[in-house]
Amino acid sequence: MSLKRIKTLLLVLLASIIAVVFLLPLVWMVSTSFKNDFEALSGKMNFIPLKPTFDNYIKGFSGELMNVPILQWITNSLMVGIAGTAIVLLIASMAAFALARLKDLPLRRTLLSMFIASLMIPGVLTFLPMYMEFNALGLINTYAALILPYTAGAFGVFLLYQFFISFPKDIEEAARIDGANKWKLYTHIMLPSSISIMVTLLIFTFMGIYNDFVWPLYATTSPEMRTITAGIAMMAQGSYTQSYGKLMAMTAAAAIPVVIIFILGQRSFVKAITQSAIK
Amino acid sequence: MVKSWHSKLTSSLFVLPYFICFAAFLLFPILYGVYISLHNFELLSPEHDFVGLKHYVTIFTPGTYLNSLFFNGLWNTIQFVIYSVPLLIVVGLGLAMLIQHLPGKIRGLFRTFYFLPYALSASVMSVIWLMIFDTNSGFLNSLLTKLNIPAIPWLTDQPWAWVSLITTTLWWTIGFNMIIFINALNQVPEDFYEAASLDGANAWDKFWHITLPSIKPVMLFVMITSTIASFNVFAQPFLLTRGGPGDSTKVLLINVLDQAFIRKEIGSASAMAILMALLIMIISVVQFRLTYGNKGEES
Repeated sequence: MSLKRIKTLLLVLLASIIAVVFLLPLVWMVSTSFKNDFEALSGKMNFIPLKPTFDNYIKGFSGELMNVPILQWITNSLMVGIAGTAIVLLIASMAAFALARLKDLPLRRTLLSMFIASLMIPGVLTFLPMYMEFNALGLINTYAALILPYTAGAFGVFLLYQFFISFPKDIEEAARIDGANKWKLYTHIMLPSSISIMVTLLIFTFMGIYNDFVWPLYATTSPEMRTITAGIAMMAQGSYTQSYGKLMAMTAAAAIPVVIIFILGQRSFVKAITQSAIK
Repeated sequence: MVKSWHSKLTSSLFVLPYFICFAAFLLFPILYGVYISLHNFELLSPEHDFVGLKHYVTIFTPGTYLNSLFFNGLWNTIQFVIYSVPLLIVVGLGLAMLIQHLPGKIRGLFRTFYFLPYALSASVMSVIWLMIFDTNSGFLNSLLTKLNIPAIPWLTDQPWAWVSLITTTLWWTIGFNMIIFINALNQVPEDFYEAASLDGANAWDKFWHITLPSIKPVMLFVMITSTIASFNVFAQPFLLTRGGPGDSTKVLLINVLDQAFIRKEIGSASAMAILMALLIMIISVVQFRLTYGNKGEES
């Protein structure tokens, strides 16, 4: 064996050991979710449960488990994530299109710099007043409170603006000569050509909303309004902590949708991170 | 003239929906937050007396409750920043370089493995690690017992609490920095390394004289984003250590939210939040200036 081959093998070995460290907590979660409480708390390090059971999942989903409406929580998260993402995609793409392509937009430069500057504003600045705003409107513990705050984020506008600004001018001019108005230009030329970047934004936004937990933790007060992340956070602080089998089943159920989307859309997700880094 | 007025209006209509959301859920809350911080604003009381800068003055008056709440929280946050940021940079770069040196076919696979925890929410991440760090039945202490090492109180004793919080933070977020570093490393021209090899440079020389200078701007970007993220730390201590042992991991954001939602003192909590936000913005501006300054020197 050549020296180079040995070196490569050692690197693969090192990478594999690190991979085990990264994956082990997830494997342990799945393994524990199939154990009964006694086995889960026994301190045994067995990855394959001695008496595998679906009980934790069945009881969890049927709501039998300590009155936790786990299906309702997942439904809430999916609904809030989908609605929030749809609004963000629509309003951010319209705004980005106007900022990048409609030169007669009044205060164009001011708006653009205001939106981009807002990316630097830490969430802590708006958290409490936003709570008080929703509280005053009587909207705490409603879907509106769970969806609307995400629509103000400027990341989507910023990302799509960069795409639209570099879009070739001649296609747009040809369409204009053919008599297309601004709305047609947006729906027939800009939107279809930006599908790939829109998918990137979609995955990024959906995961951000689905995974957020501080805002939904405070913006919901009744068990049935909670999102799955806020619900799991509440469970982690209650008496459920002594029932790892059940807690892990719920945690796995919370993680599975977003992990699937993440793996499927990884390429897009990486693209969004990269594009946010190159400013 | 009429046509141009009309055209400007339709252009504006495209921005209007986003602008309404921006105004309602960002601009207005910022102004409202300033207003709240100047009042005695209690969640349950309908009366809000104007108190001017009283909350701010109290925060800076030694010996007051607000003063210790703010500065203890700040000190705990700063400790977290000091422990986590260097590791977030070094480990992120290390993983990126490791992946670069793997055979092409398996690179994507390992990148996914290291990046996967980033997909999890804070609460999922915390619940998994609560189980692993559990003193009596947790995975880590079971492992130590097998090796005849006494159990470690991972979340309830210092310095272990910090060790645990930093470990989970690295596991959870390092994928983000790794991705950025992988991109940066891909952009270093291959001929630089070839030329250096001809000159007889070893691996360390190449790293020190080619890799590091080439990725310097990205390095600063990662430093800025990691510092800001660490300053905003909340989920890990809130869910894993509950701010303990004692108050040693009660970071600033925990104290701000406790003041608002447990003690229902929204006015003083808002003042703390505004000071915290200002601090974060000052840090990012300073770091941006450093980035900009360095770019200026190079060109």
